[in-house]
Amino acid sequence: MTWSFDAMMREPAAWLDGSGARSDVILSTRVRLARNIEGERFPGRAGRADLERVRDRALEAALRSNYLRNALVVRVEDADEPQRQILVERHLASPELACGGPGGAVVVGEREIVSVMVNEEDHIRLQCIRSGLQPLDAWRLAGKIESELDRNLHYAFLSDWGYLTACPTNVGTGMRVSVLAHFIALVRSGRVSQVLGSVSKLGLSVRGFYGEGSAAQGAFFQISNRTTLGQTEDDIAYTVERVAGQLSNLESEARAQLAASDRRLADEAWRAYGVLRSARLLTAGEVMELASSLRLGVAEGLIDTVPLSTVNRLLVVTQPGHLRYVRGDASAEERNALRADIVRRELSSAH
Amino acid sequence: MICTDCGNRQAVVTYTEFADGKATAWNLCEECAARRGVSASLSSLSGPLVNILMGLLEEAGREGAAEPGPTCDGCGLSLAEFRKRGRLGCPACYAAFHDELASLVRRIHGSTEHAGRVPGSLESLEGPRREVLRLRAELERAVKREEYERAASLRDLIRQKEESLRAGRERS
Repeated sequence: MTWSFDAMMREPAAWLDGSGARSDVILSTRVRLARNIEGERFPGRAGRADLERVRDRALEAALRSNYLRNALVVRVEDADEPQRQILVERHLASPELACGGPGGAVVVGEREIVSVMVNEEDHIRLQCIRSGLQPLDAWRLAGKIESELDRNLHYAFLSDWGYLTACPTNVGTGMRVSVLAHFIALVRSGRVSQVLGSVSKLGLSVRGFYGEGSAAQGAFFQISNRTTLGQTEDDIAYTVERVAGQLSNLESEARAQLAASDRRLADEAWRAYGVLRSARLLTAGEVMELASSLRLGVAEGLIDTVPLSTVNRLLVVTQPGHLRYVRGDASAEERNALRADIVRRELSSAH
Repeated sequence: MICTDCGNRQAVVTYTEFADGKATAWNLCEECAARRGVSASLSSLSGPLVNILMGLLEEAGREGAAEPGPTCDGCGLSLAEFRKRGRLGCPACYAAFHDELASLVRRIHGSTEHAGRVPGSLESLEGPRREVLRLRAELERAVKREEYERAASLRDLIRQKEESLRAGRERS
C-alpha cells in the first residue's frame, strides 16, 4: 500500500502512540541526519535546475530503498496550503521548506516513522521519530535507511570533518537527536530553570516547545545535542538518552512530591478533562494548556479513562492546518468550534 | 529580535502563515504567539546554535575585515559572504575556507576530528585510521585509570598501526 495524506489523517503518526521508555514524561524522540550530494551546490546557493536535479536524484534513491519504496512523495510546489501546513505540524517539513521554493520535496514513510526532507538547508535531511525515549532505536533505524540511500548517492564527505553540511553547526555526523519532554511538575514546583540550566553544561541544549523562552507553553520542552562533530552517533544518542532519562526521574520525583502534598494537581487534571470534554469553543493555546494538565493526570494514573495516545494526538490534530484540511474556509470562531468538536470526539471515542 | 506583533518584547518563535498562496513570516514573543494560537511545532530546531555561530562569525569578520579573503572555486562564494550569511555554498567551500572553518568548527564543536559513520565506499580506507583513533581514546582512558601496563601495550600497538598506515600510504 502506498502511504497518502488521507491515510495520514486517518491513522495517527506512530510517535504519538504513547509507547516506548518513559512515555509518562517523554512524548517522542527524533533523530535527524543531514546529508549532501558531492559536486552539487547547497540549496541556499543553487538555481532551479540544480535544485530539481538534486530532488530527482534524492527521490529516486529514497524510492529505491526497501523502507521507503511505498512512501508518500510530496513535491512541496504542488501541495496546497493545508497540506503544507500539516507537514509542518507533524514535524515532517520545516516552515522554510513548506514555503514551496523550487525543488523542495518531502518523503513520508508509513505511519510517519521515517521521513526525508529534500532541499531544505541541506540536500537531504532524513529523520526518524519514535514514541517515548528511544534515541538508540531511532538512530539505528535512521542509520539503516541512510546506508540504503548511500548505495545510490555520493555523499559529500571529508575524512577529518565527516559529512559536509551547509551550516558548520551540523558538520560531522550531521546528527541531531531531540527529545520532546513534559516537565509540568518541575515547572509547577519552580525548579525547572535550575534543573534545565545544568543540562547545558553537559553539551545539550534545552528549549521550550515554543522557542527559547523558559515559560514554555504547556510545560513541553525539547532537549537536543548541541554538537555534531567529534563523537560517534552511538555516543551522541547515548548521552541524550542518559540525560533525558535523569531529567525524567527528577520530573517523576517532583510529581510524586506535588501529588502527596497538594490536592490541586489532581483537581487541575480533572478540571482540564472536564473542560476539554464539554467546551464548544477552544483556541489552540487553550488546548495546549488543558492537554498538558490532562496528560499529567493520565500519566500519573489519576485519570484512567483516557489513554496517553489520545492526549498526544490532541496536541497535533487540533492545530490550524489539520482543521483547514477538514474544513478549508472556516472563520476564526468556526475554527474554534471545529477544534472543540474534534477534541470531544477524540475523548469520547477513547474509552 | 523584537516581536513583530507587539513591537515590544523579545521574539522567541518564528511563525509562518500560509494565505492566498503566499507565506508570511512573523517573529513572535511568547504572549503574542499564545494569543494567536500559534502551533508550537512551528519553532525550528536551529535557533540558538545558529545565534552562537553568527556571533563567532561576526567576531572573525571584525578581526579580518581588511582582507578580502579567498573565494570558492566550486560556487563562487567569498569568505566575506560566508561570514555574513553563516551558510556555505557547496561541499568545495570546506576546502576553500579550510583555515577559517577549522578554528570556527573547533569553537563550535570542541573538535575537528570526525569520529562517526563513514560512507560505504570509503569504509575500507577509513577503517585503519579509525582503529588508531579508537585505540588512542582507549589509551587516554587507561592512563586516567592508572593502568600503566595496559597503557604501555596500547602505545606499542598504536605505534605499530601508525607505521603500517604510513607504509600503506607510501606504497599507494
